[in-house]
Amino acid sequence: MFAHTTLTHAFTLKALSIAVLVAAGGSVAGPAMSDDFYEGKTIEMVVPFGEGGATYVAAQFLRPFLEKHLPGNPRVDVQTRPGGGSILGANWFEQNAEPDGETILFTTSSTSNPYVLDMEEVEYDLAAMRPAYSLPFGAVIYVSPNTGIDSPAGLREPDMPLIYGGIAAAASDLPTLLAFELLDLEIQAVLGFDGRGPARLAFERGETNIDFQFTPAYMSQVVDMVEAGSAVPIMTGGSVGDDGVLSERDTAFPDYPSVHEVYEELYGEAPSGVEWDAYQSIGAATFNYGLTAYLPEGTPDEILDIFEETIAAINDDPEYQEQSMDAIGGYSLLPASEVTESLREALQPSDEVREHLRTLLAEEYDVDF
Amino acid sequence: MLENIASALVILFEPMRLLALCAGMLAGMMFGMLPGLGGVAAVSILLPFIYLMDSYSGLAMLLGAISVIYTADTITSVLLGAPGSPASAPTAIEGHALARQGKASLALGVGFLASMIGGLFGALILSVAIPIAGPLVLALGTPELFMFALVGLCFAASMVGKDIAVGLATACFGILLGVVGAAPAAANYRFTFGQPYLMDGLSLPIVALGLFAVAELIGMVASGGGIAGKQMPLGKWGESFREFWRHRWLVVRSSIIGIFGGFVPAVGASASTWIAYGHAISSTKDKRRFGKGEIRGIASSEGANNATIISDLVPTMLFSVPGGPAAAIFLGALFSFGFYPGPRMVSETPDLMYMIVWSVALASVMGAIICFAVTPYLARLTRINFSLIAAPLLLIMVAGAYQGTQTFGDILALLVLGIIGWLMKNANWPRAPVLVGFVLATPMEQYFWLTTQIHGVTWLTRPGVLVIASLIVIPMLLGLVRKLRRRRASTAGSPSADHSPPGDSDESPRDSTILLITAGLMVVAFAYASHEMMGFRSNARLMPAMGIVPGVLLSLYILGRQLYRLRRDGKVIHLDSRQQLPVLGGILAYGAAMWLVGFSLATPLLLAWLLLRCAGMRLGSAALYGLIVYVAAQGLFILMRITPPSGTLFTLPMPW
Repeated sequence: MFAHTTLTHAFTLKALSIAVLVAAGGSVAGPAMSDDFYEGKTIEMVVPFGEGGATYVAAQFLRPFLEKHLPGNPRVDVQTRPGGGSILGANWFEQNAEPDGETILFTTSSTSNPYVLDMEEVEYDLAAMRPAYSLPFGAVIYVSPNTGIDSPAGLREPDMPLIYGGIAAAASDLPTLLAFELLDLEIQAVLGFDGRGPARLAFERGETNIDFQFTPAYMSQVVDMVEAGSAVPIMTGGSVGDDGVLSERDTAFPDYPSVHEVYEELYGEAPSGVEWDAYQSIGAATFNYGLTAYLPEGTPDEILDIFEETIAAINDDPEYQEQSMDAIGGYSLLPASEVTESLREALQPSDEVREHLRTLLAEEYDVDF
Repeated sequence: MLENIASALVILFEPMRLLALCAGMLAGMMFGMLPGLGGVAAVSILLPFIYLMDSYSGLAMLLGAISVIYTADTITSVLLGAPGSPASAPTAIEGHALARQGKASLALGVGFLASMIGGLFGALILSVAIPIAGPLVLALGTPELFMFALVGLCFAASMVGKDIAVGLATACFGILLGVVGAAPAAANYRFTFGQPYLMDGLSLPIVALGLFAVAELIGMVASGGGIAGKQMPLGKWGESFREFWRHRWLVVRSSIIGIFGGFVPAVGASASTWIAYGHAISSTKDKRRFGKGEIRGIASSEGANNATIISDLVPTMLFSVPGGPAAAIFLGALFSFGFYPGPRMVSETPDLMYMIVWSVALASVMGAIICFAVTPYLARLTRINFSLIAAPLLLIMVAGAYQGTQTFGDILALLVLGIIGWLMKNANWPRAPVLVGFVLATPMEQYFWLTTQIHGVTWLTRPGVLVIASLIVIPMLLGLVRKLRRRRASTAGSPSADHSPPGDSDESPRDSTILLITAGLMVVAFAYASHEMMGFRSNARLMPAMGIVPGVLLSLYILGRQLYRLRRDGKVIHLDSRQQLPVLGGILAYGAAMWLVGFSLATPLLLAWLLLRCAGMRLGSAALYGLIVYVAAQGLFILMRITPPSGTLFTLPMPW
């Protein structure tokens, strides 16, 4: 665990300084009008999940840093609006939030996947909203040593049938299932667990033998298992590179290959086609832009510039760097300038990709649209 | 280890932390007592405040609340007959019956003491989390979890009451309510009518509030007078200590059942309470008093529910998998303070672990003491004209329901379930089986599906499964043997309900019109459900079918039986349900007004109607009292940091 943290930390710091440079460059051009834009105001940060969930915890973690670095030091209020797997809270935000920078929707792929899949209950237009910042939410896929797998190549010839435990195909399991699909792996997916925690418990009990965990849970739970030899890390979802492709290694886990790399290793060429596009779209929204703060459609550029500067300042804050390691896996925040374009692309895949996703989910995973 | 135990006590005994613990306890007691709000509400209201304190104080505050909720809600359950939280339904049934017999103090005293023991057992299991509890949690695979839910359902079935057809039909209706929302097996949304509100299914607090509290409230407002009808003597505490001591082993066994309940995610408190209650029934020779005020029912369920909510913390602390909703919030708090739950946290920060154990133990004991102290004062409330209490109570229930998703769906669900509960109450149908079916439908379906997917059919031979299965089979065999022996002993007719002529079997009076309407509605609901069920994917159809198919048959049988009786007797019995109609109408009108003009404007109208019309207060005092209640209700919303329901037409702007 320890070697791990230092390694990642060094890497994060590098990534961070780059981000700071980029952001600093951007802020020179920005208007300097708003020194006290938020003075005396309260920002309502809407989390469409219950108290105590990963998104709520991340929001509470970011809250003091936003209060400290936003001009005018506003009060930030974290408001939970759970229900409908985050759809209710997002619908509420679409209908009620004013584009004045005082209401923010802070959410995950649970909100973006139903949007991408064009589900009936969705009343929000996520692609029209303006992302203010993102926090990457990486994930590591690992297997049980009983499977005899010790490298990505082993995934195709396991000693025993692979069983994966998940929640629901159309929820946060989607990118993992798409990765299995892309890599053409023989894996029995058992869906219906209550959350990633219970799924991990089933892995620990030996009921399943391949699993994935998001970075915070991986750090606190799985790293120990890896050390004890009861779990073998294989790959990560990857992160979006400068070219906008989900091919780079996860900054928190530079030792493990990304799905993109694993494909190259197994098949000798870079992945392409509709299966890759589907994975890229869903994977980017789940991992790289895992936790994203959205401002309502029509929010003026000045407010986005304020956030751009604030995010750079937070990334620069030594306190943030120190605390983010344990709390969120040491990722630095991505400012809007790095998020907006590729996130919009991920949220609006081609009709072909959307159709592929819907057919796959309906036929393989019994999803009813 | 010993030094950690001592140093943890030193940590906790810092004035600030003790104060936080006490503040948490007070909040927990208040919210435990308010019907339907329960643990989640208390903990989520406290959550923003813990960020103002140091980590140990913040956690102590949450633990204080968590540990006393199931102690305090005994008061509501016994005095009001409406369960303070769903896991207290057995207490409400037995305890309220005792209260009506003037034995409230007996019910309360045994309840408090059993809760305390349950809490202490929970603390004990927490202190041996690593060597004992952790391996136990890992030993429970999905097949064992499924069996646990199944045992819960079987034990609950033992309390369907005399009219077996009605009891089973209501349990089936509970299953129907429970399968609303996303199916675990196939990504099918069932009975959601395209409403995102229903995608997560109905929430347990709203179902419990609607079925029990709304119906009780309507009945009490309509009948006027106090809760007990006449002055309810509390009685002396002495008897309760003696009774508690007599049933001490039952309490211990129930606490152990409760501890296992805490290890099972999702099934948790509700199932273990019913299992413990079922255990109390099967271990009692004379079962006739169950449902009419059996102290063993209270001892078992209170011992179990408090043990569960605390042993919920074991999977939370060791595996960061919360066993219940309150534990989930506690988990979030741990994260926020930079504690990352796992075996490492437990072994590397023993001070934290034992601080938690001490907080829980201390709060359990102090909670029981405080409950003993405040009950005499609360009992006086039962003598006041109920319309006066009904006003704040209804507003609290609205706030409790509305914190679910903060959409009007919460209010609508509360009202619809309230009507159902009212109909069932006046038809004299048992409502507890609905709650059991509702609670256990989802975990049973989920675990059955996971089990068969992962293990095929081999799960049936797992030792854990066989052990748990023996919990069902052995009492059943014992019961059978006992029955045979008794039959051999006395061939002369025993006063069994099944053999008496059907017309006279109704011991309590029923309103035939209401009964007819209820039975008719059941037929319609089940028929519609079976129609829609045909469209589900096969994996999503199994569990609903288990409720719907027998539901259709049973409700048709009940309806037919009722029509036949009506024709035979040729008379329609009307009871006081008719007098209750205006109250029901008033509450529905309040719901409609809330939809149109919002909470802030609809509530004064409700208060005026309740205080002036129903309670017959004079204008001046009504205005003063109404104002206090109104301000308190608005304050509650502010405290919970949610905006009260706003109207579609108009919303009264609030100065804050």
